[in-house]
Formats: sequence, structure tokens, C-alpha cells
Amino acid sequence: MKHAVIFSTLYFLFITSSIYSQFDFFEPKTKVSGYGELHYNVKQIEGKEISKTLDFHRFVVFLNHSFTEKWSFSAEVELEHNFVQNGQGELSLEQAYLNYHMSQYLGFQAGVILNSVGLINEYHEPPLFLSVERPLYNKYIVPTTWSGNGISAYGMLSGLEYKLNIMEGLNSDNFNLKSGIRDGRQKGFKANAKNPLYNFKLDYFNIPGLKVGASATYNRASGDSTEIPIQLYEFHAQFNNYNIIMNFEYGNIFYSNSELKESRGFYVDLGYNIASFLKWKSKLIPFARYSDINTASTTISGGESEQKYHNKLWIIGISFLPIPSIALKGEYSENTVELNSIKTQYFNLGIGYMF
Amino acid sequence: MKRLFLIFTIFSISSSSLIYGNEIQSRTEEILRSHFGKDINITYKKYDLDRDVKSSIENQVEQRFFGDYIYIWQVESNDSLKAIALMDNVYGKTLPITFLVIFRLDGSISSTHIIKYREDHGGAVSSDNWNEQFNGKNRRSSYTVGEDIQGISGATISVRSVTKGIQKLTLLYEEIRQAL
Repeated sequence: MKHAVIFSTLYFLFITSSIYSQFDFFEPKTKVSGYGELHYNVKQIEGKEISKTLDFHRFVVFLNHSFTEKWSFSAEVELEHNFVQNGQGELSLEQAYLNYHMSQYLGFQAGVILNSVGLINEYHEPPLFLSVERPLYNKYIVPTTWSGNGISAYGMLSGLEYKLNIMEGLNSDNFNLKSGIRDGRQKGFKANAKNPLYNFKLDYFNIPGLKVGASATYNRASGDSTEIPIQLYEFHAQFNNYNIIMNFEYGNIFYSNSELKESRGFYVDLGYNIASFLKWKSKLIPFARYSDINTASTTISGGESEQKYHNKLWIIGISFLPIPSIALKGEYSENTVELNSIKTQYFNLGIGYMF
Repeated sequence: MKRLFLIFTIFSISSSSLIYGNEIQSRTEEILRSHFGKDINITYKKYDLDRDVKSSIENQVEQRFFGDYIYIWQVESNDSLKAIALMDNVYGKTLPITFLVIFRLDGSISSTHIIKYREDHGGAVSSDNWNEQFNGKNRRSSYTVGEDIQGISGATISVRSVTKGIQKLTLLYEEIRQAL
């Protein structure tokens, strides 16, 4: 009798679980994806000889494995400039993290993670931005790709996406007037963990086509010979609606205990998908961009040191997406450095993909 | 020891059934009751897709169905059919996105809902504002992302995927309506 009760209970539970499990759509899965971009760059600095290069700038493979609905692993390996030899090219692990997706409201990551700053750092596949190269702003104010060892907590509530990252800090010995914090990234290589970097981002999505957000980053950056606390505040907005594409980013970095006191920059993009007039499924987007970037906008010395790295850049170009995952781009641009008004002209062509 | 093993087995089976199944069922029922009131009768069943119909829709929308079946939810009140909702999945970047399309009886969309989003990125497709764009659309409507359906920055793959998933169900609706 006792056994009959037990077996009946087990049978009932098996039946119940099989009814419920029909809604369990998850299956453990490993997925490979990636992106890449080939560039043809022509550059002429005023009064100097023209240079032409053909460069497979980035080849990236992304790997994801979902153990369960909640536990997954993601990694991104990047090869820059085709090969690595004698200090040229770069092979790096840009992402490699375990993810625990507890719910829509809260999840956690640990490993090599991306810092949540600006529009491009977390979403940098070539079909997702208009120009051939990433915006100058995303090289010198928000140095993409900015990744490192750390942990994060993320979630979403009522159209508001939030993320807190605590990760390796920056090496302040490598800060300089020309590139601000860019060379201070440790990229996860035996990273000095003396002073962690804290980053918090908020993005609002509840208006279709619009993303608007901001982030704050603090790090008491240190190296062998310096300790330079930095604060980075940035604001970003992206609009993609009615065939109009607009991007805007503004960022400001403040430095303490340093000759360099402030880096500042912004850019704005405006594009329109003219393929909509022709009822094409493809996208053809002429665009214009204006950037104003100064990695040494305020220094203790002042004067020329604040003009030498002040760049004003105009770009006009066109981006053609035959399908949403492939982009062919072309652009002409002119950069003027404030000090001595030195002009540089660029002509770039590019082809990029993501899958 | 034997008793301990039995208790552990019973606990494992009961907890796994509660964790996985109930969440999707209870969320779906909650949405349907918030739409049609508490005094409704909700039933659901698995619907096996006809191979030819499935293939034709897949070719038209350029997206495969998640499986060979979907789920049909029927909403009845006072013994009359009020609405039909179809539940299916599409893949985001790596994981399934479970979604529900509630149809008026004429085949137009009453509302769409993300029942379960499992990835760390692209969760904005769950927002009510984004989903409201589909209200009123039907099998003859256009679903081009960026024109008819607005995109979401940082959720490019999820937006395209869910949009195609919804379009597939509008094309399937008539077939299902006749089969019921």
C-alpha cells in the first residue's frame, strides 16, 4: 500500500511536469557569430605625400554557449590588421564572460566584460554605424573597444536599461595629451587590480526608434609612477525612425594630479535612407557627421598644448546595406587641427559584415 | 537512505515543473485576463504545422519556424469565442524569445507580447511601446523594420527576429481559424 502511494505520487508528478515542460522551449545550444571589416584608406596631410592603405582592420569571432536558460558563456576573439608580428597587429580576447540571467530585471556577468560607455563600445559591428572607421570620438574620448576583467550587474525595468560594471582600472602611466585615457587600457593582460574602475549606465528605450542614455565612470587610475583619478561623464542619443538616422554623443573626462586636466568631445550624425523613395528593401543612406574632439581641452600649461590635439572633422559619405547584415561604405572627410590650422583630407572605402 | 532518495526525487520533479512550465503559462493567462477580464475561459493546445503551409510562410517571410508546432490559446466567454492567441518562439542572438500574438476574430492583431526574454542584450523588444506598433496589422500589412516597424538601438537582431515571427503568425492565422 505504502509503495502504491509513493508510485502514484511519482506518476502524478511526472505527468504534471510533462504538461508544464511543454512550455520549456530552451535547448542547450552553442552558436558562432562574428563580424569583420576591410578598409581602403587614402590620407593626405597638408604639404605631405599622400598615403594609401588596404587593411582588413578587424576579424572577430563570437562564441556563445547556453548551458541552461539562465547560465550562458560568451566570448569574442578579435584579430586586428590580419596578423600579429613584431608588435604589429593585435590578437585579443575582447569578451569572455559567464552570464547568469536571473530575470529580466537582474542578471550578472563575470569575466572579460565590456565597459558600458556610449553608443559604440557595446555595439560595434560595422553595419551598426554609418562611417567606414568608427567615429573619432570613439577612439579618443570613449576608447573603443574598452574591455577588461571584472563583474557586472544588469537589468531592465519599464523601458529603462541599467548596468553596473566593476572592472580593472586604467594604467595612468600611459595617459597622455594626444590620446587621453586610450593607452591606459589594460585589456585584461595581468591587469593591475589595485584600484577598480566603477561604471554605471542608464538607457531609456520606451519611445520607438529612440535610445537616450548616459553613463558615469570613476577610476583612481594608477601605474608604477603615477596615480591619476579620472571621472568620465557622457551622454548619448540615437534616433532611427521614419528613415532618419541621427546619432549624438558628448563626453567629458576629468583628471586629477596631472598636467592633463580635461578631455572633451562630441559628434553628431545625420543620415537619411533614400532607398525608401524607390521602395527598395536595401538601405542607401547618405550621411554627414561633424566631430569636435580635444583630448587636451584643459591642461595646467594651457596655450598651445590645448590647441595641438583639438580636431574638428567633417565627413560626408554614403552607406549601402543590400541586406541588414552587410554594409558597403564610402566617405570623404576633412580634419583641421586648431594649432596652425593643419588640414588633413581622407577618402575611405569599406565593406563590413556581421552574422 | 531510501526514503531520503524518494523525497529528493519528488522534490526535484515538482520544483523543475514549477520553475519551467508555470512561468510561461501563468504569464500568458495573466495577459489574456488583463485583456478580456477575469470571467473568461482559457484553453490552449499544441498545433502541428502543415508541412506545405509552414514551408510557404517560411519562404514568404524568410524566417524558419522555431519548431513543427505552435500553441493556440482560445479565449471564450459565455460559450462564445472572443479571441485567438498564438504563441511561438524565434531566436534572438542565441536564445529563444517566447512571444504571443492576440488576434481579433477578423485576423487583425489586437496586441503582441514578449512572454519570456532570455538574453542579456536586446530586452527592449519586451516594452509595451514597441509592441504597440503591431496593433491593427494583419496578413496584408507591411512589416519592414525601419519603415513600418521602428527599430531599437542595441536590439537589432531581436527586433528583426520578433517582427518576422509576428508576421509569420498573421499569415498562419486564417489556416488555424478554419481548422478550429
